[in-house]
Amino acid sequence: MAEVPILVVGGGPAGASAAATLVEAGLRVLLIEQRDRLGGAIHRQTASGAESPVWRPARHRRNWAALTARLGAAAERIDIRTQTVFLGVDGEGRFLFEDRRSERVLARRPRAAIIAVGAIETIRPFPGWELPGVMTVGGAQVLLKETGRPPAGPVLIAGSGPLLPALAAQLARAGNPPVAVLERGRPWRAPGALARLILSGGPTGEAASYAAVLAAHRVPYRCGASALRAEPDGDGLKVACRIGTSEQSLHVRHLLIHDGIVPNRTGIPLPAPEAAVPVLQAGDGREALGADAAILDGRRAALQVLARLGHASTAGAASLERPLQRARDFQAALAEALHSARVAPSPETLICRCEGRSYADLAALAEDASAREIRLMGRFGLGACQGRLCGPMIEALRAQPLPATSSPRWPLRPVSVAALARLTADETE
Amino acid sequence: MSSHLFWNGVPIAFEPGETIAAALLRAGIVDLGRPDDGPGGRVFCGIGACQGCVVTVAGAAPVEACLTPARDGLRLGPLPWIGADHG
Repeated sequence: MAEVPILVVGGGPAGASAAATLVEAGLRVLLIEQRDRLGGAIHRQTASGAESPVWRPARHRRNWAALTARLGAAAERIDIRTQTVFLGVDGEGRFLFEDRRSERVLARRPRAAIIAVGAIETIRPFPGWELPGVMTVGGAQVLLKETGRPPAGPVLIAGSGPLLPALAAQLARAGNPPVAVLERGRPWRAPGALARLILSGGPTGEAASYAAVLAAHRVPYRCGASALRAEPDGDGLKVACRIGTSEQSLHVRHLLIHDGIVPNRTGIPLPAPEAAVPVLQAGDGREALGADAAILDGRRAALQVLARLGHASTAGAASLERPLQRARDFQAALAEALHSARVAPSPETLICRCEGRSYADLAALAEDASAREIRLMGRFGLGACQGRLCGPMIEALRAQPLPATSSPRWPLRPVSVAALARLTADETE
Repeated sequence: MSSHLFWNGVPIAFEPGETIAAALLRAGIVDLGRPDDGPGGRVFCGIGACQGCVVTVAGAAPVEACLTPARDGLRLGPLPWIGADHG
């Protein structure tokens, strides 16, 4: 019988790094990726396969080339399944996936699993964020990487974080500079954090190049500025913005929003550390530290699995703690530099888009409502996205982590009954 | 003739390897229709998490437009039209 593989879910930098580390140790790996190609959001390739016209730091290109070379060198020990969506773990401990090509569900029992499903973007909700024409900054960046084309018509970027100027510069270079970038934070009010960022040896050169592109294209980058509300306006959106103390209205075709990233943990089953089949998280899905740290973290998770299975000592994984701590310090300084006070949204602001639930509906729940009450009485997180989007918003608005629900239930994604009916279990059972 | 999919019966050209989302957005289709009285469908997160861009596929299960490669002859529509006559 063939050796039972170790499962890696997610073909971004963390998953690819974990898979490469495992196969280099001589083990077999089943690598699952929802898209038709590996790379994750950060290393999204062009649809045509041609060299991307979108500017990005050279180190990302090098890092991904190195990871794909490592995977290629051990291709005979990796089973890569693309267009395959992780659905969760069933009551019998089987990992379930939907193969979107054959429209069937697969059930597998791996020796161990590393879940590296990346981060999701958070937003601070405002009236109109739910409208067509509003997209996340990261979502727009993935599309730009794939197509090489910026969205047509006037674009406004609003929210907070380094991704805002990065995408603005990429859009400008691709031929459609945004009308403005509205950064909620006021970094000059946190000189200590700014100094730590500069001294951290982080990508300050990258930041300077974005700033130069924005200046060359005369894209205003305003701090202490935010989108207040959006409404349909002809074939686009009318966006009311606060810039400093004044309010102004902009007509745009696309409004791109982003207020940071959080690990995508919704529905990920994590058994006790000593469970027979270890399940570990890696990369931005464990802790949002960015693409460079994700490669280290994927390796760390793989080394931990190897140690659990008796193939390695725990020293290798421990040696990665220091560089990960540097990434953590950098993210903490960044968060401090861009910190801005939270303002409660107006009552009509939608929080749960799937179920159409507003901030007034959330505020009507008891202050100490349990996760179960928030779901069953408030109907938050009961929709198609399973709370991936509104969960972090609710946590932030309630200023406390959502109490845990009972063990996560599959499916994490809607799956057709027809695909379930064609379930195939693996031969190792 | 280049490759086309159909949105509400209207042919939409796409390039090889492109997602449904990329093809629809290039054609200027930003509003993906209303599942009920809620806001219209739309491409939002781009990574399959938010489910905002789920579209109906004639003869198959609904899919996230942002994850799914476009295919020649795919007949797509907004969510409420599951099983409705656009195939």
